[in-house]
Amino acid sequence: MRAAIAAAMSRSKREIPHYYLSTAVDVTVATEWLAVHNASVPVTGRLLFAALLVKALALTCRDNPGFSGYHRDGRYEESPAVHVGVAVALRGGGLVAPALMDTADKPLAQLMDEFRALVSRARAGRLRASELAAPTIILTSLGEATVDAVFPIIQPPQVAIVGAGAVAARPWVVDGQVVPRQVLTLSLGADHRVTDGRLGAQFLAKLAQRLVDPGSL
Amino acid sequence: MNRDDLAKRILDLLTEIAPDVEASSVIPGIDFRDQFDFDSMDTLNFAIALHRELGVEVPETDYSQLASLDKCVGYLESRVT
Repeated sequence: MRAAIAAAMSRSKREIPHYYLSTAVDVTVATEWLAVHNASVPVTGRLLFAALLVKALALTCRDNPGFSGYHRDGRYEESPAVHVGVAVALRGGGLVAPALMDTADKPLAQLMDEFRALVSRARAGRLRASELAAPTIILTSLGEATVDAVFPIIQPPQVAIVGAGAVAARPWVVDGQVVPRQVLTLSLGADHRVTDGRLGAQFLAKLAQRLVDPGSL
Repeated sequence: MNRDDLAKRILDLLTEIAPDVEASSVIPGIDFRDQFDFDSMDTLNFAIALHRELGVEVPETDYSQLASLDKCVGYLESRVT
């Protein structure tokens, strides 16, 4: 698996002119919304923050072309449906990024159920080949490794990848006062053959907006 | 259920939700996170399994008390009939 990852990433760095952007987002409202939600539903209905991220990313892709699709034979094709791939670290080493199909169209509860099943199958080595081939964009969330930010490498033939660092309490300025807030650094690795930094910045800003309004997910 | 039975039951559930973890390799006093990269998805699956199999609903605010096998036994002992 290590050799396969190395080959894919070497190809990516050789062929794709990456650019990188990042933005820190105050997600306190989302974490509080999540805590209230999770306390009010049975244990099987609890959501992870990553589910909010996945849905927010899918909706952002739907509204902002140029980040969710495939670059093949010298041209980019936007995918009509958004299939967010979720990077899953395997305990034996390595990682896979299977897709949550039609991510933008599903309610959070359904996405969370499918997300749980997908991770279980990934770790049991029971993914379908179609699930590994389907992602139109990948989310890599290294939040649990307590890193601040990720600088992710695009997986060809995709043209973008979004990274999420740890959600952690940070000093933040609100109305001229420094206060502790739950902050997350989002990053975008995207393909200069398709988009540029201006579009990438808009994309990240829209994603951040989605996360500060979790009720809209 | 005595402590040993409870610990065995917890280990069974743990390896059921994380089939890539060897039950015999679990060190009771060390956090799952430090032993085998247990993450929030594992914790949620574990909480669901505890609810399904032992009838104990663990609130999110108590997740830290499920961090290791020893902590699990201590937390669940008084809650499992």
